[in-house]
Amino acid sequence: MLLIDHCRLTWPDFKANYSLRVETGALCAVVGPSGGGKTTLLHMIAGFEKPESGTLSLDSHDLLPLAPSERPVALVFQDHNLFPHLRADENVALGLKPSLKLSADEWLAVAEALDAVGLKGFKKRRPGEMSGGQRQRVALARALVSGRPLILLDEPFSNLDPGLRRDMIELVDSLRRKRHVTVVMTIHTPEEIVDVADQMAFVANGEVIASGTPKEVLHNHPDPRIAAFSG
Amino acid sequence: MFKRFLTTLAALVLATGFAHAQTKPVLTIYTYSSFAGKYGPAKTIKERFEAICNCEVNWVTAEDAGSLVGKLRLEGQSTKADVVLGLDMNQAAEAKSLKLFAPHDTQVSGLSLPIQWQDDTFVPYDWGYYAFVYNADKLPNPPKSLKELVENPNGPKVMLQDPRTSAPGLGLLLWMRKVYGDKADDAWAQLKPRIVTFTKGWSEAYGLFLKGEADMVMSYTTSPAYHETVEKKTNYKAASFSEGHYLHVELVGMTNTTKQAELAKKFMAFVLTEPFQSAIPETNWMMPAKNPPSGPPAVFKDVIQPTKSLLFTPEEVLQNRRAFIDGWLNATSR
Amino acid sequence: MRLTLPHPGSLVALAIAALVIGGFSALLMIDGEKPSLLAIGPYLTRVLIFSTTQAALSTLLSILLGVPLAFALARRRFIGREFVLSALGAVMVTPTIVTVFAVLAVYGRSGWLASLLKALGFSGDFSIFGYPGILIAHVFLNAPFIARLTLDALDTVPAEQWRLAQSLGFSPRQIFRHLDWPVLHAELPGAAVLLFLVHFKSFAIVLALGGGPSRATLEVAIYEALHVDLDFGRAAWLALIQVAICLALTLTVNRLWTRPPVSHTLRSTILRPDAADRRLYILDIGILSASLLLIAPPFLSLLAGLSHVASVLDADFAKALVTSVVIAGLAACIACILSLALASAARRLRLEMRLPRAAEIYDLLPNVLLAIPPFALTAGLFLIVRPFIEPSSAGLILLPLMNGLAAVPFIYRFFGPKLMTAGERYGRLSASLGLRGFWKLRIMDWPILRRPLGAGFAIAMALSFGDFGIIALFGGPELRTLPYLLYERLGVYRLDEAAAIGLLIVIVSFALAYLSGRLSNAAD
Repeated sequence: MLLIDHCRLTWPDFKANYSLRVETGALCAVVGPSGGGKTTLLHMIAGFEKPESGTLSLDSHDLLPLAPSERPVALVFQDHNLFPHLRADENVALGLKPSLKLSADEWLAVAEALDAVGLKGFKKRRPGEMSGGQRQRVALARALVSGRPLILLDEPFSNLDPGLRRDMIELVDSLRRKRHVTVVMTIHTPEEIVDVADQMAFVANGEVIASGTPKEVLHNHPDPRIAAFSG
Repeated sequence: MFKRFLTTLAALVLATGFAHAQTKPVLTIYTYSSFAGKYGPAKTIKERFEAICNCEVNWVTAEDAGSLVGKLRLEGQSTKADVVLGLDMNQAAEAKSLKLFAPHDTQVSGLSLPIQWQDDTFVPYDWGYYAFVYNADKLPNPPKSLKELVENPNGPKVMLQDPRTSAPGLGLLLWMRKVYGDKADDAWAQLKPRIVTFTKGWSEAYGLFLKGEADMVMSYTTSPAYHETVEKKTNYKAASFSEGHYLHVELVGMTNTTKQAELAKKFMAFVLTEPFQSAIPETNWMMPAKNPPSGPPAVFKDVIQPTKSLLFTPEEVLQNRRAFIDGWLNATSR
Repeated sequence: MRLTLPHPGSLVALAIAALVIGGFSALLMIDGEKPSLLAIGPYLTRVLIFSTTQAALSTLLSILLGVPLAFALARRRFIGREFVLSALGAVMVTPTIVTVFAVLAVYGRSGWLASLLKALGFSGDFSIFGYPGILIAHVFLNAPFIARLTLDALDTVPAEQWRLAQSLGFSPRQIFRHLDWPVLHAELPGAAVLLFLVHFKSFAIVLALGGGPSRATLEVAIYEALHVDLDFGRAAWLALIQVAICLALTLTVNRLWTRPPVSHTLRSTILRPDAADRRLYILDIGILSASLLLIAPPFLSLLAGLSHVASVLDADFAKALVTSVVIAGLAACIACILSLALASAARRLRLEMRLPRAAEIYDLLPNVLLAIPPFALTAGLFLIVRPFIEPSSAGLILLPLMNGLAAVPFIYRFFGPKLMTAGERYGRLSASLGLRGFWKLRIMDWPILRRPLGAGFAIAMALSFGDFGIIALFGGPELRTLPYLLYERLGVYRLDEAAAIGLLIVIVSFALAYLSGRLSNAAD
C-alpha cells in the first residue's frame, strides 16, 4: 500500500499538502485542473521533490530517506522517455542496469518485456524510427523490466490520438494485473479511464480534495471544483 | 522596402552630419585617419585655409596611406576627392598609374627636403627619415649602423612592420636593399632571429615596443620629439646609422576629376606656405617640407641628422616591389 | 487565384548569393588583364598550409579548454556565475588589437607572467611570438565562446531525461554518455567548423603575434592584393579559394555528422545529479581555476585603460559612440532579419516539405558568409554601387550591411532550433487554424522567438560594435566608430588613450553580452 500522509511542500508561489492512500495492485488515476499539483505529487513520490514534513511509505517502508534511484518506483513521462541514440532494447535495458552490461538472461528479460508491450521485432529500432505510441510502449517496457512495484505515469498518452490512447490504457490495465504492480497515473481526460481505474484522486490547489472510485469522485462529490472540472 | 528604409536612414544620418551650411563651395580632401584625428593637423589646416579661400574643407579619411590608393582605385572616375593628401613616395608611381591626378602647376622651390624635387604631379608637404627608435634606459649602446644591427648575433630585438601591409615596413625593405643590394635577402635571414614580429601597421609595432616587447622599433627620426614635447620623456631616442637613412616623403596631389579645379590649385599652392607648414611639426610629427625663415622647428632640434639619404625612385619601387617582397618572404620564412 | 510568393528565406538566400556573385564579378571585371595567381603559387601554398595548421590547432585547443569549462559551469553554482557567463560572451567580441595588447600585457616579454617569474628568481628571456602567441590569443578569444555554446547545448537536455537519469541511478559516466554526449555530438562539429573558419581568417592577431611573415593567413594575401598591389582580380580569386575551402570543410562535416533532430523541450534549470560526485568536484575546481588563470588576467589588464578614460570622453568620443551604436544596431537588425528568414525557410523545408537535404543548404549559407573576406566583398559591392551612390553614403549602407552579414553565422544558431521547436509544437495546430505569414509568426513563433531574438540581436550588435574591418575603408571625420577612434589615437602615439577607448569598447560589449545572456537564459 502506498501511503502519503500530510506531505507539505512550499514554493514562493505554490503550496502543497498531500494525503493519499493507494492499495497495492490498484490503478489510481490522478485528475484535476492543470497547475493544480498533479505532476508535483508524482515528482514527490519519485523523490525529485522533498516534502518538509509528513510521511511517505510503500508497504510500510519509509521512502523519504531514499534517493530517487533507490526508490521502488519506475517512471513514464509524456515525452522524452527514450534516449534517441539508443535502440529500443537498450532503452529498456537501462531499467535493469544503466551500464548496459547485461547478462544473457537479462537480455531475455528485456526481449520479454518488449514482447509484453506488443513490440516484438522492434528491438533494434531507434526512437526516431518509431511512432509516438510505440515509443511510449518502450518506456512502459522499461518500467516493467525494472521490477519496481510502483509505476508512475505522468500524462503518458496525452500526445496520442484518442483511439490509440484507449488501447494504451487497456495495455496498462492488463499489464498491472499480470505483473501485480501498483500504478499511479495522471490524466487530463478522466472519462477515458473511468472503466479501468480502481481509484480516482482529484488534485487541485496542491491538495487531494477527493479520493474514491471514479464514479464517486466524478459524479457524486459535493466539492464545486470537481463539478466545474467534470462539467 | 527594406532598402528604402536603409537609404532613408543613411540620408538622415548624412543630413545631421552635414547640417551646417552648404552654400560655400566645398573642397574635399582625402587623407589618412590619424592626419584628421583629434591630434592631427587637419583641424588647424582647415581653419587656416577656409580663412583665405571662401570655401569649406571637407576631410574624408582612409585607414592609412596604403588604403588611400586602394580607395581611389575603387572609386575611379567617380571619386569625390579634389585633393589627395598623405600618399607615400613609394606609392607615387602606382597612384599616377590610376590616371586620376592632374599636374599641380605649383612653384616647388626652397624646400627643406634633402633631395631635389622635380615631380609635376605631387607636391611634398612633409618628410622624415625612417629610423630605429629605442629606450636609452634599457639599451645604452644602440647599434651604430644597419650592418651592426643586422650582423651582431647578440644585438637588440627589433619590432618591425610587414612590408606587405605597411609603409614603414616597405621602407625598411627598401633600406635593406640600399645597404645590402643583392645580398639583402641574406641580411634578412641574419636578422631574422632577433625580429620579434612583423605587425600589420606602424601603430601596433610602436605600441608593442612601448609595452616593452622589443628593444628597438622601426619608426621615424622624429618619434623622440613626441615623447620629449608631449610626455617630457627624454629616454626614447632614434639610432643614427652610418650608412644613411631611408627617406620618407609624404605627398599631396589634386585630381583631374575635380569640379573645384581652382580651389584645388589654390590648396596645392597653400600647402607650401607658412600657415600649412607650421601646423605639421607638433601634430603630424614630421619635418615640414619648407622651413620658416627662422629655420627648422624647435621641437626637432635634437632630432638626429643622417649623413646620407637613401631613396629609390617611385618607378624603381613599382618595378621591383614584388621581387623584393618575394625575396624577403623566402629569406624570413626559412 | 492566389499568386504564390516565394518564401522570404529563399529571397534572402538568393539575395546573398547575388551579393556575393555580384561583388566578386565586379572585382574580376575591373581588371582587364589576367590575375597573376600563378606567380604567387609557392607563396600561396605556404600560406594555406600555415593557415590550416594554425586554425586547426587553435580550434582544437579552444575546444579542449572550452568544453570542460562548460561542464564545470553546468555542474557548479557559485556567486558571480552569471557574471562569468556574460564575460564568456564578451571576450569573443573583444577587438583584435585590444586582444593583442591584453595578451602581451600578461604573457609578453615585459608582461605580468615575466615579472612574476623574475620575482621568483627565473632569469632569461622568453617570447610568445610565433605559435604560442597566436594560440594563446585565439584560445583566449574563443575558448569562452565554445564554453558558452556548449553550455547552451547542455541546457537543451530535456528535464525528463534528467529525472530518468536520477531515477535509474546513472553514474557520472553514464550521464555523460547518455545525456551530454548526444548534444555535444550534435553541436560540436558545427561549432568547430565555425571556429576553424574564424581562425582561418584571423588577420591582425596572426600578423602581430606570428613573429614572421610565413605566419600569414590567406586574408593577408587578400589584403595585400587589394591594398598594395591593387590587383583586384587576384583578390577575388584568393577570396574564392577561401570560400571553396570553407564550403568543402562545411560539407564534409555535414556529411560525416548528420545532426540528430533537435530536441524540443525548453531549457531545464535542473541541478545535475553528477554535481555531487567528489572526483568531478575536484576536476571542476581545477578547470575553473585554470580557465580563470588563463582568461581573467588579459581581461583584467584592460583595466589599465581606466586611468585615461576621463581624457577620452569628449565630443569626438560621444559622436563616435553614437555612430557605433547606430551602425551596430542597424547591422544587428539586418543580421536578425536574414538569420530569421534563412532559419524559417530551413524549417519549412524540414517540417512541411520533408526535404531535410535541401534545408541543409540554408544551414550552410551562414558559414559561406563567414568565409567571404569582408574587404574583398565590400570592395566589389562598392564598385557596383559606385555609379549610383556617392562614396560617402555608400559607406553608410555597406557598413551595416557587411557587419550584419558577418554576424549571421554567429546568431543563426540562436534561431534555428527555436523555430524548429515552435514548428514541431504548434505547426499542426496553426496549420489547422489556417495561420499564415505574419500571423503565423506573431502567434506561433513570436512567444518562443522573443528571447532568442533579443539575445541574437545583442550579440550581433556587440560583434559589429567591436569590429574594425569595413570601417577602415569608409571611416572619416563624419563616420567614426569607436574602434576607428582607437586606431586613430594609436596612430599618433596616444597609447594610453587608445587603451582607455579599448576598455570602453569592451565594457559596452560586455553589457551587450550580459543582456544577451540574460535573455537567452530566461525561461520562455
